[in-house]
Amino acid sequence: MTLALIVLLPFLGSLCAAFLPANARNAEAWLAGVCALACTVLTLGLYPQIADDGVVRFVLPWLGQAGLAFSLRMDGFAWLFTLLVSLMGTLVVIYARYYLSPEDPVPRFFSFLLAFTGSMLGIVLSGNLVQLAIFWELTSFSSFMLIAYWYHRVDARHGARMALTVTAAGGFCLLAGVIMLGTMAGSFELDQVLAAAEAVQSHPWYPVMLVLVLLGALTKSAQFPFQFWLPHAMAAPTPVSAYLHSATMVKAGVFLLARLWPVLAGTDLWFAVVCGAGLASLLIGAAAALFQRDMKGVLAYSTVSHLGLITLLLGMNSRLALVAAVFHMMNHATFKATLFMAAGIVDHEAGTRDLRRLSGLAHAMPITATVAVVAAAAMAGVPLLNGFLSKEMFFAETIFAGDGLLLRVGLPAIATMAGAFSVAYSLRLIHQVFYGPLAQDLPRVPHEPTRWMLLPSMLLVAACLLVGIFPARTIGPVLALAVQSILGAETPPYSLVVWHGFTVPFLMSAIAFAGGIGLYLLRWFYGQRATGGAPLRAPFDGRRVFDIVIVVLHRVAERMVRFASSRRLQLQLLMMISMAFAVGAIPIATHGLARGAAGLTPVDPVYALVWIVGCVCAVGAAVQAKFHRLAALIMLGGAGLFTSLTFAWFSAPDLALTQVAVEVVTLVLLLLGLRWLPRRLDLDDPDRRTRRARLRRARDLALAVIVGAGLAALSFAVLTHAPVEGLAQFFVEHALPKGGGRNVVNVILVDFRGFDTLGEITVVSIVALTVYALLRRFRPAPESIDVPRAQRASIAESGIRAFNPGELLPGGDLRIPAVLVRLLLPMAGLVAVYLLLRGHDAPGGGFVGGLVMATAFITQYMVSGAQWVEWRMRVHPQYWVALGLTAAGGAGLLAWAAGRPFLASLGADVTLPLVGPVHLASVLLFDVGVYLVVIGATSLMLVSLAHQSFRSARESFARDGAGG
Amino acid sequence: MPDTQNWWSTIAPAAPEMYLATVICVILLIDVFAGGSRRPRLTGTLTLIALAVGAWVTLEYGSVGGRTPLFGGLYIADPLALVLKLSALLYVAVALLYSRPALARRGTGGEYHVLALTALLGIYVLASAGNLLSLYIGVELLALSLYAMIAFDRESPVSAEAAMKYFVLGSIASGMLLYGISLVYGLTGTLALDEVALRLTAEPSLGMVAGVAFVVVAIAFKFGAVPFHMWVPDVYHGAPTTVTLFLSTAPKFAYFALAYRLLSQGLDGISPTWTQMLAIIGVLSLIVGNVFAIAQANLKRMLAYSAIANVGFILLGFTTGTAAGYSAALYYTIVYVLATLGAFGVILLASRRGFEADELEDYKGLQARDPMLALWMMMMMFSTAGVPPFVGFWAKLAIFEALWQVGAVWLIVIGALAAVVGAFYYIRVVKLMYFDDAPSAPRGEASGALRLVLGVNALATLALGVVPASLFDLCKAVLG
Repeated sequence: MTLALIVLLPFLGSLCAAFLPANARNAEAWLAGVCALACTVLTLGLYPQIADDGVVRFVLPWLGQAGLAFSLRMDGFAWLFTLLVSLMGTLVVIYARYYLSPEDPVPRFFSFLLAFTGSMLGIVLSGNLVQLAIFWELTSFSSFMLIAYWYHRVDARHGARMALTVTAAGGFCLLAGVIMLGTMAGSFELDQVLAAAEAVQSHPWYPVMLVLVLLGALTKSAQFPFQFWLPHAMAAPTPVSAYLHSATMVKAGVFLLARLWPVLAGTDLWFAVVCGAGLASLLIGAAAALFQRDMKGVLAYSTVSHLGLITLLLGMNSRLALVAAVFHMMNHATFKATLFMAAGIVDHEAGTRDLRRLSGLAHAMPITATVAVVAAAAMAGVPLLNGFLSKEMFFAETIFAGDGLLLRVGLPAIATMAGAFSVAYSLRLIHQVFYGPLAQDLPRVPHEPTRWMLLPSMLLVAACLLVGIFPARTIGPVLALAVQSILGAETPPYSLVVWHGFTVPFLMSAIAFAGGIGLYLLRWFYGQRATGGAPLRAPFDGRRVFDIVIVVLHRVAERMVRFASSRRLQLQLLMMISMAFAVGAIPIATHGLARGAAGLTPVDPVYALVWIVGCVCAVGAAVQAKFHRLAALIMLGGAGLFTSLTFAWFSAPDLALTQVAVEVVTLVLLLLGLRWLPRRLDLDDPDRRTRRARLRRARDLALAVIVGAGLAALSFAVLTHAPVEGLAQFFVEHALPKGGGRNVVNVILVDFRGFDTLGEITVVSIVALTVYALLRRFRPAPESIDVPRAQRASIAESGIRAFNPGELLPGGDLRIPAVLVRLLLPMAGLVAVYLLLRGHDAPGGGFVGGLVMATAFITQYMVSGAQWVEWRMRVHPQYWVALGLTAAGGAGLLAWAAGRPFLASLGADVTLPLVGPVHLASVLLFDVGVYLVVIGATSLMLVSLAHQSFRSARESFARDGAGG
Repeated sequence: MPDTQNWWSTIAPAAPEMYLATVICVILLIDVFAGGSRRPRLTGTLTLIALAVGAWVTLEYGSVGGRTPLFGGLYIADPLALVLKLSALLYVAVALLYSRPALARRGTGGEYHVLALTALLGIYVLASAGNLLSLYIGVELLALSLYAMIAFDRESPVSAEAAMKYFVLGSIASGMLLYGISLVYGLTGTLALDEVALRLTAEPSLGMVAGVAFVVVAIAFKFGAVPFHMWVPDVYHGAPTTVTLFLSTAPKFAYFALAYRLLSQGLDGISPTWTQMLAIIGVLSLIVGNVFAIAQANLKRMLAYSAIANVGFILLGFTTGTAAGYSAALYYTIVYVLATLGAFGVILLASRRGFEADELEDYKGLQARDPMLALWMMMMMFSTAGVPPFVGFWAKLAIFEALWQVGAVWLIVIGALAAVVGAFYYIRVVKLMYFDDAPSAPRGEASGALRLVLGVNALATLALGVVPASLFDLCKAVLG
């Protein structure tokens, strides 16, 4: 429970802090301080338990299905880190209270600081790996917000973005790595994972997993080759640097390496990668630190270097080295945080961190100077300070690291060299800033800050001294606990004493000191003139790589978008159709398209001719569609006619009949509609004639031909195979006994599939209404409003503008047709009813009947004009539609009333007077419904189009009249 | 009739669809006959009430213990359908809620809401389809409603163009779906998905492979997966934001249902055929979606490419061919759509008359103008990017885990890389909002209540991320 509280408290505090007013600096600081302090106290209170039991756990059910529980686990090592994080948090909060100026928006700062603390504690205390990775990402994001705290500054934004990109991407790798690790170990729980070293290391995927985990750890700890983000993150407020970039966040990487040391370490790959990265960072960091101008820059590179030292130790596959690494993590945290705080104080009081401008501050701020000197001495490894102890351990380890001559000599030499660099940059930092004559031209007059601001660093320096002088009594038990929790029973003996005698490590230390002082003098001598960066740094600068990666990503994306995407429908269609063709073609290409066994129908020359003409019509329609709509429509009608002929040829008179009627009606309606389309825009597209355009059209033609041919081949193949046993037989057999009709098609329509037909006629009605509604508001294109040329000529000739509705017959040329057409109407009506009534047994039916009737109406409109027809029309089309739907629905309900299913056919043989015996069925009523709907819907569309005509004509004439 | 009770009990699980169909007619009629300037508002309110009641009806009648076939297997009620329907209904309701100010501003008629309801009905039908025909009817019902919705802004040529493109391409895709279905039908002799599954031969015939390929093409088109994705950016961009919001959320459940019912249930026996196709499509979607999104300057277009990329993840879940993979895909769909809903919600709430707020530029310095909105947007972006502890992280993890179980390591690697690239442009939005200087853009004019809903939406991505178990278990349970 306490564990949960430790992790939860900072998050709760963060939430509270976010909602405090912007100027509540003290309240924020108190809140954050109390949270951090409470965590510290709780951690301290757990010490006896840890010392006795070894591990404290807290488990909550979380994601049972995935085998994950929310588990917190504290052992000695985690305890040590928890203490470090919470204690350092407390100190940083105190420091930050005085560091931030009243104008800074403090809620954001403390809120994210606490969120970071919580996430860091989460990493340290996580009992399972996935949870650890999540907290890991959380630290990346909260640190991003902290680095970008002063987001109005470009360097802050840039640095924050870079830090986030590098560490979050690393975190992602880590996540992938730990998922693999968990799968290898069989569990994500840390306990099981740590016990599964053999299974993991013998797994074939071990190298991949290791690399992923290491990517996570090395990016977080700013190790080579990812060291570049840390110096840029120095744009953060100094309390953040003191906390994140010395004590906590950057330590998360090495923490993880130490945490997983028992399961991952021990292989050559581990040695090569971890040692390599550590060694490179150690040297590069140390060398670069010597050439920085910014105080915090020096500290950042020295952090890289010291973390490199720790990484190197962890990579040596030696238990003693692990002890040294853990010890150095603690020591580095104390002295580096102190130095950061001192740098912050200098910045705060003097207004600059530029090493070239600062000088002699020891006169102005003696306490700060003392604190900084002690901490820098610890960093350099001066005896009687904590840094010395861990450095000695490090030197000792390098001697016994490897077997080869190169390692035996090279490693100690490099270690010594790095030590010398460390001495040199520590010396430079202190000497330049605090000694010499007091600088005069500083932005502010430096003086000692308030005691409270100094307190945290003073406490930390005291810790440096205490550990340095009495290591066994201060850090000893805690360190033992931490190391034991990692290594268990295999903990090697080690001694924590200040003086080991004149050993090789001591000799190395001495050389390092001498070398360091020499280096500094050299640097001082030449450095007064040199102002550039470190000579060694340039090739290793990852910042440029980072920028280049971002820019390249952008460019690649843009180029790909330009190359592989289009907003043009034509291309998109091309894609779709080619894809469809490919999908269809691949199986055919591999297996071929087998022709079936069915014989071919012998070719009849007449029939072939019909088809050739039909095909020519169809192709002509397609070709003319864009250029001459009328021609295209006529040819479409031709194609339809030949289709009807085909039906008739193959003895399907009902189909032929229906097809002809449909062709006629649709063609007329289309022609009427065509009248109102805007004229084709003759865009003289200059691109049309280019080679590219020709190629494009050729491509489209080829595609059309290929796809069409493909479909034709497919159809041919299908048709030559024996037909599948379908439903046809059923319908043929049952049409008469069950449907009571001999016309199978009609029985299907009104009986077997009556429901479908009901739906269809409903749709037809809706379409008609929609056409009506749409055309009511339709405004034709201006150029098509004028009376057509042909009509104009006729008007000019006969002097008759429009047929007067009052007259019985029109004058002029139209008189004869009008008489004929009027005579046609009753006859057409008769034929229509005849077709309707006989439909159940012979070709015909409601649909064809309705179309015939509609055709008769259409001819009336065409010859006599809309006004004349409607003057005399007594029944309006919408009533026909309504009546038809009611009749069809009623036929269905009739069956219901008789206790049969909806639309079931009811029949009775009755004897009618005059007619004789008749088979009357409810489907007849249904068919009448279809008949009425077809007439009504067709006429309604016709009316809508026709009204268009006389409305526009009126306008046109009115305009002509006004003009003339 | 004496057996009314009995008769009703046999069709009761389909009550949600019947209810929706009825309510659509009623609302349409009310919309026709209720006059006055308040008509659109009235229809909108009625629709929301209808959806609330619909949630109850769905829950009350749709929750059946196991798999209950109705209407001779045309319709299937099962827990998966219930989850899909409820999610779709919830998302439709929230989407309409977010759209209210924008619709009122544009004076959109009440038909909009009716179209949304018919689309929802299509989703319902799809979610419960047990037969190739009912499946197709659901697809078309949804698609036709969407075509009309996209073209809703009649004055805008961009919108009309988008609708036209979607219609033409969608029709072709429908044709392919039908063609595929007809091949499957021809080779198995049945339309019922259960029967199809039983009659499949272990070694699929050539025609069956072709049929599956056409079906997969249609599914990929509907989802907007590469290489059938070209319509996505144009439509997302061209359609009014309210429609884009609608289009990018609830229909995804329908397409999930389409893929699951058709492939995982009907064609399970020959899963190697389609998992391979889906793997290629999924990987291409991941790459193209994520890379292309980087180069976009328009937020709606960017989100369109992000949709393509996320669909890639969903399809990766399908490539496993295992229950774990399907449940991961379902989880991913729910989670992804939740964040998308919020992201488009932010766009809508940030817009005002004459300011669409759909360019990335418009989000510069949003934090200074409207801190709450910026915060919500940040949470949506983080969730979509898969940043822990937001729920999007668990969704990606679930997919990866399912892939790992079947040993598809290369898919995991590509997925992980794509996710990293993807995170880049999501976080860029956050960067724009928080770190760039604010041009003097106007502030959105949404009411406090809507902001509250958006806040709940955003916090849901966080809450579900902190406590992911319940939703995850639900997804496992319904597909188990």
